[in-house]
Amino acid sequence: MNATGHPPALAIAGLHKTFGDYVAVKHAELTVAPGSFYGLVGPNGAGKTTLLSMATGLLRPDDGRSMVFGVDLWAEPEKAKQLIGVLPDGLAMPEQLTGRELLTYTARLRGIDAGTATARADELLAVMELDGDVERTLVIDYSTGMRKKIGLACAMVHAPKLLVLDEPFEAIDPVSAAKLKAILRGFIAAGGSVLLSSHVMALVEQLCDTVAVIAKGTVLAEGPVDGVRAGRTLEEAFVELVGADTTEAKGLSWLAS
Amino acid sequence: MVGVLIRMKLTVLRRSTTGSKANWTATGALLGVLGAFATIAVAGVDAAPGTVLDLLALVYAVWALGWMLGPAWAGEPVLRAEHFALLPIPRRKLAVGLLAAAFVGITTAVSLVAFASAVVFAARLGGVVPIVLAVPAALLQLTIVVLLSRLTARLFAALSRSRAGAVITAVISAVMLVLASSGWIIFVGVEAILANGFSAGFSAVVRALPSSWGLVAVEASARGDWLWTAVPLAGLVVLAALLVLAWSRVLGPPRRGRPVVRGTANLPAPATGRTGTVYLKEVRTWLRSPQRVQSLVLAPVFAVLSCLVPLAFGSPALLPFAGALTALMGAAVSANLYGQDGTALWLNLVAPDTAAADVRGRQLAWLTFFAPVSILLSILGTVLSGQYGLWHWASAATTGVLGAGAALVPLIGLSQLAPGPDPHRNRNSPMDHGDAVGGAFAALVGTLVLAVPAIATVGVASALGYGQLEVLGVAVGVMTGLAYWTSIGGAAVRRLTERGPELLYLMRAGKEAQEKVTAGVSVSVFAAMSTSRRRLMWGAFGVGCIALFPQAVVPGAMLASGDVAKVWFLALYLPESWQWPTIAAMVVVAGVAFTVAVRVFLAERRRIQKARTSVAITGAQGLTA
Repeated sequence: MNATGHPPALAIAGLHKTFGDYVAVKHAELTVAPGSFYGLVGPNGAGKTTLLSMATGLLRPDDGRSMVFGVDLWAEPEKAKQLIGVLPDGLAMPEQLTGRELLTYTARLRGIDAGTATARADELLAVMELDGDVERTLVIDYSTGMRKKIGLACAMVHAPKLLVLDEPFEAIDPVSAAKLKAILRGFIAAGGSVLLSSHVMALVEQLCDTVAVIAKGTVLAEGPVDGVRAGRTLEEAFVELVGADTTEAKGLSWLAS
Repeated sequence: MVGVLIRMKLTVLRRSTTGSKANWTATGALLGVLGAFATIAVAGVDAAPGTVLDLLALVYAVWALGWMLGPAWAGEPVLRAEHFALLPIPRRKLAVGLLAAAFVGITTAVSLVAFASAVVFAARLGGVVPIVLAVPAALLQLTIVVLLSRLTARLFAALSRSRAGAVITAVISAVMLVLASSGWIIFVGVEAILANGFSAGFSAVVRALPSSWGLVAVEASARGDWLWTAVPLAGLVVLAALLVLAWSRVLGPPRRGRPVVRGTANLPAPATGRTGTVYLKEVRTWLRSPQRVQSLVLAPVFAVLSCLVPLAFGSPALLPFAGALTALMGAAVSANLYGQDGTALWLNLVAPDTAAADVRGRQLAWLTFFAPVSILLSILGTVLSGQYGLWHWASAATTGVLGAGAALVPLIGLSQLAPGPDPHRNRNSPMDHGDAVGGAFAALVGTLVLAVPAIATVGVASALGYGQLEVLGVAVGVMTGLAYWTSIGGAAVRRLTERGPELLYLMRAGKEAQEKVTAGVSVSVFAAMSTSRRRLMWGAFGVGCIALFPQAVVPGAMLASGDVAKVWFLALYLPESWQWPTIAAMVVVAGVAFTVAVRVFLAERRRIQKARTSVAITGAQGLTA
């Protein structure tokens, strides 16, 4: 509970996952306040995807809880899953459907009535520019960027209160990215909450109000963006937190010599 | 370059992560060695040299067919031309290098043993010249089957990217499967053949096949017919050269793009319920995915051709069962539906309470595609063959198998899931799929067992002399189908509900989560293996034991000794001409079952040992990649 008495949009409480002896995520704690735009940053292999998968019901945690607006997702999945929209990174979809068919499939699977599903699909396809020429293209023939956009549309079609997006801007062209940012800002303005992961610091700095830094499965810092960067750029703060070796890498003497 | 390629292949083989393909080769090799020695035994059989030549030629043709079919079932070869696309290597050089690497493998070693039967054949003909000739002939023969295998794999891979090509692939595969599996027909008249030889026409056709040319040359040299020694050998050399040329030509990047399937524009959302929504998605997938279209065509074509084979000796008795066989094969080819869809399962996991709709929708779609064609083929087969007396058997078998198949397909898809690349990652190489042999076998045996009540009803009614009650078989088939729908379908729903995240993990990481394994602790493989794998292993082992000992060895011994007591030996209840073929079929069933059991064990042992030594870092990589 925060000061206003509302439960957080997402409270990750001690989520933990090991694969054999390899600890992928170590008792992670994160709190996404309602209405906040939350960025999760970390180097490759930090455990971002594992953490988000556990938080959204895609991977069973060894320990810990994921509370969506106060509802324990692993204890009451039916209730919690109504409240969140999820975009995983790089997973398959029912590939032999067109974008519109996929959207109405997702909507109807979630119990939305046919009329509403059709109307929302129209609107989402137009916003994502997946109508017109590409209307009849099957998802299997979509480009990486188009896959991201249709995935995002699927995550939003049931009007969730919280969006959990894994690398939503990867492989998206600048024009689509600008549009996407506008959509997400609109969603926040209308009272929604967003948790996204990224390793592009500039993007997180620009979009998010709250940030968490994760490396080697451990949450190193969490707080308002200004607090975490403490007068530096987010990138500098990140490199310092992660403890990477920033001394100039030796050049490849034989390359283009 | 050849040395580099061979070392590369050996390294990849050693490290192949799931190990299932490598183990398939290893255990398949056991069966292969048996087959190779059987081939050598044929070379020594007591008959006229001309007859032995025909018999051997027939066996060689089966080996060649096996080589050509192999890649379609086992997936892509270890080293692919695509890996070297960016290197400045001329295609012909690459082709020769890849060919040399292709020779490194257990399959080639086994086949070399089989083709060594040419030397045995030469030895019985007498003289030194045939033996000297038999050695290069055997090597050329091996080269040609290896090349044919690679070329057909290439052809199938190119074809299966489109739906029309998938239909062609399905028909070719079905024909080869039927040809390769109907060698048992020889048993029917084996004594007459050994005494009198094959008919002249048949003999000419078999000897004309390129797989027989080496044998023809060897036999001609023993007779001092040098023209017929030189021509086939020269033919083999020319053919090998042509195949290398053809192969080097097709090694380049695909010349034609993948034909793109288009959907319909501006369809409103379906007004059906949630099950109906999944059903509609499945129907679209069956119609649009080349892989699914191939399954749709393979099942009925295989069934019809298999039932036509006994016509060769005048028996139309199998024709009414074309429908039941279609449904049975339909279950086998659909055993890995969830694996084919890959990680798309996430959509079900993020939406609340979708398992029932997903399982039921898939079952209904399976029935939509396999029930009408099965029923139609049963009716057609009965009417065209005029075997109306078998109608009750055929209709009961079809209904029973359809009910069992619809119930089993999702459960086997979930419990024997064979992960492969996601569909959007292998859209240009559909041959690159998970190794679903175990699941297909489980579907075959399971469906057959579950169909027993329906068929047995007809059997009991017929045995007790209540012919008019035979019609009840269909009713029992429908009733058991409904019961299986509830019970087995329900089990699938429960499994999907309870194990959804674990299944998604399996598809993401390509292997099961290794929670049970603790590094450094010695655990028995039997204890550490997953429940579903353990069930499959023991099930296959049990089926193999029953098929081999009571259904093959014992009745075989009885037939051989002439001291026959029918008891429960299936073969002994059949007409005389069917007894040995049935026993042979039981041996094949046992062979497949034991192979599956050994393979599951080896794969699990490998997985567990790997987990002990290297710990599951790759598990996390599966998620971040």
